Amino acid sequence: MTTTTTTPFPFPPTYNFPPFFTPQPNTTTRHSQLEKWSSLIQSWCRHHRQYRLSLIDAVETPLFHNAALRKRLDLREARAIIDWMAKSEKEGGGGRRAEWISDAGGTSSSGSLGNGVGQGPKAVAWIWWRRPEEWADVLVEWVEGTGQRGSVLTVYELIHGEGAMSQEFHGMDIDIMLRSLNVLVKRGKAQIFGGEGQEGVKFF
Amino acid sequence: MFFKSLDLTTALRPLLLPDEILLFVQDAVGLYEGKYKIQNYQSGHAYLTSHRVCYVATEDPRKYSVAIDLKEIDRVESQAGFLKSSPKVTIYSKPQKKKTDKSRSATASPAVAQQSALHPTHSLSHLPQTNLPQSSPSPKPINATWICPICSFSNPVPSNFDPAMASAATNLPPCLACGIKPPFTTVLKAAINAVTSREFPLLNLAVSPAIAQDTRQPNANASISPFGSGETVSCPRCTFVNHPSLVECEICGAPLSAGSSANANRVDSPAPLFEQSHIANTEVSECVKLSFRAGGDKTFYERLKGALVQRKWLLQNAPPVPSPSQGASSPGLPSPAPSVEIPLPSAPRTSGAGIAGLERRGLEARRKNELVIGNAFEDLEALMASAKQIVALAETLARESGMTTNEGSPETSAVLSESAAALGMVTTKDMLSSGSESLYLSELARDLAEYLTDDRKGILQREGGIMSLIDLWAVFNRSRNGVELASPSDFQKAAELWEKLKLPVRLRRFKSGLLVVQRYDWSDEKTIEKLQAWMEELRRVPPDDPVPWDWPLFGRAVTAQEAAHRFKWSVGVAAEELEMAEDRGVLCREEGIEGLRFWHNHISSPEYDDLSRLVI
Repeated sequence: MTTTTTTPFPFPPTYNFPPFFTPQPNTTTRHSQLEKWSSLIQSWCRHHRQYRLSLIDAVETPLFHNAALRKRLDLREARAIIDWMAKSEKEGGGGRRAEWISDAGGTSSSGSLGNGVGQGPKAVAWIWWRRPEEWADVLVEWVEGTGQRGSVLTVYELIHGEGAMSQEFHGMDIDIMLRSLNVLVKRGKAQIFGGEGQEGVKFF
Repeated sequence: MFFKSLDLTTALRPLLLPDEILLFVQDAVGLYEGKYKIQNYQSGHAYLTSHRVCYVATEDPRKYSVAIDLKEIDRVESQAGFLKSSPKVTIYSKPQKKKTDKSRSATASPAVAQQSALHPTHSLSHLPQTNLPQSSPSPKPINATWICPICSFSNPVPSNFDPAMASAATNLPPCLACGIKPPFTTVLKAAINAVTSREFPLLNLAVSPAIAQDTRQPNANASISPFGSGETVSCPRCTFVNHPSLVECEICGAPLSAGSSANANRVDSPAPLFEQSHIANTEVSECVKLSFRAGGDKTFYERLKGALVQRKWLLQNAPPVPSPSQGASSPGLPSPAPSVEIPLPSAPRTSGAGIAGLERRGLEARRKNELVIGNAFEDLEALMASAKQIVALAETLARESGMTTNEGSPETSAVLSESAAALGMVTTKDMLSSGSESLYLSELARDLAEYLTDDRKGILQREGGIMSLIDLWAVFNRSRNGVELASPSDFQKAAELWEKLKLPVRLRRFKSGLLVVQRYDWSDEKTIEKLQAWMEELRRVPPDDPVPWDWPLFGRAVTAQEAAHRFKWSVGVAAEELEMAEDRGVLCREEGIEGLRFWHNHISSPEYDDLSRLVI
């Protein structure tokens, strides 16, 4: 966990509703249930500044385990919810608010979140409480707001630099930062150079 | 004779009087008044009961249904179908009181009888008998014989034997040849046969000449003497071909039955319409005809004749038959079933005092019951004859066994023990002409509808207005006491007919395929309203134990068992109804180690949606 805020997470009222933890057979009810789970997971991750969610660990956290009700979401159901979140709205899903990390080994460079390694497929997922495109917009806004257009910044600076301390992307997972920057590169708003782990970025 | 207005049951069938039993049903029947078709009474069901002949129209049955009391019927005639003319049963009304004297004097006069005999269109089938009995105007004694089952000797039926009053307890003389007492049924059957064949010549004599005149139509045949036709009558017993004017066989003395009735009267078909469209409570001027367009006339005729002979309507207020074993000790016993008795400690018997006397009485009662059961089950016909006693006995036994077992027996068993009424109205295949499967099904559907809506039993009310078809099948078949059981496929087919027949019950298929029976005005919306009201109530009532969730908001979970208990449904039905409500999005489920429970659906209710969005 990157940063854990001390304030407790405010759970929505449905979190204390026992049927919330049972997959609903009725499609409309099921849809609202998935929507609520999706928003709960997103706000949870955002509250905890968490970008990837390892389901096997998460089923023990208060997110999926309501100790007061003695109810928990089992792994299969949690997977179903993430699956739904990963689908686009056109496919009847939750608008790509999650993405499975298929090859967890490739992301081990982040170190602190390497606990998803070797747990097979659909064990760890990105939770896009902001999509990379949205992050790109946030970055551009920040760069423009601080007058750093044309300057060169390292990726480390962007994530851990003092200038970005107050920003939401402070302490962000490096993979997500790179993906967001790549969006900007495609838009022609930035350029990435440098080697592995030493990336620098120039905003236009 | 009057067309009486008819009360219909919920299943649109004639409402039976106490002690009245259904004998026969036939569909596609039309009604004629004299020679005229009665408008709006041309397509319906004919119900023959022990007291009445009823007609119920298929369309608008509440408006177009009439009944004729059997006691007002003088005689009936059958007319076979010919070419386009359907077979018909003609019912002649009894002469009015003032006419009765006149007709009696008329029977004594040979001239009048001769006159009526000259018109062959009128009761052609009974002509052989009509002509002759002038010589013996007084009613003849019953000339019945019964065949001894042991030695096959023909014994005369005792003259004091009345088939309508006799019961298994009546004393019967032994066989003249071998001295063995005959079974009650043999004598009863013989007596009924004899009376049936005797009835008609006698009744024909009593016809008022005025009525006879009305019915006949002068036509080409009128001048031809029936004797010229050379028609002969063969004896039903020895097959000797007798002269048509004889009433008894020359060889064996057996009464001759009516000759062939092939002379259909085609003149009145297609008949003109009777002017009046509403005929209830109007007097029948001469006769009523039932036209059987889909057959069944033969059976109807036979049963009608049988009913006229048995005169069940006389029994309604008749004193009970004193049984010989009882002697004169308690002749005024008001019980309708004299041979079924529970030993009464306060009985005015002097023969035994104290426990010994009680025991003796108990023993006698048991012996009597044994005799009744033994006689009744010998033969189906005998069972019919003593049905009343047997039902009473069965009820007594059921009541006794109900008392000895624990008092908390399910309510359904109470329904079963009150099965006497069910026996009365249930249509059996026996009551329908063979081969008419659709009629059987529609009658079964009506039976079921009546059974379900019967307020005395209140089966549907007791089950919370809804019960599964399988439960109904079991209860219904059990109430038939093991005879004429409805097969499952017939049962389902009949239940599917309810909607078509506009009966007040409906068959419904749940998503899972469970078939249930419910009232026609029962709807999912009503169920949901009930469930929602319950859920509201649960939000107001604090739970017994402290709960971790916000109960004023979420309420409490309910199980199918709780719902079944609250709404008096069966658990299967309750589960289906809850799932139905879930399907509509009113409820949602919670699966846990406690089992499946249902909650009010707070997952997709919009007011909480907004709340959870705010958190993001």
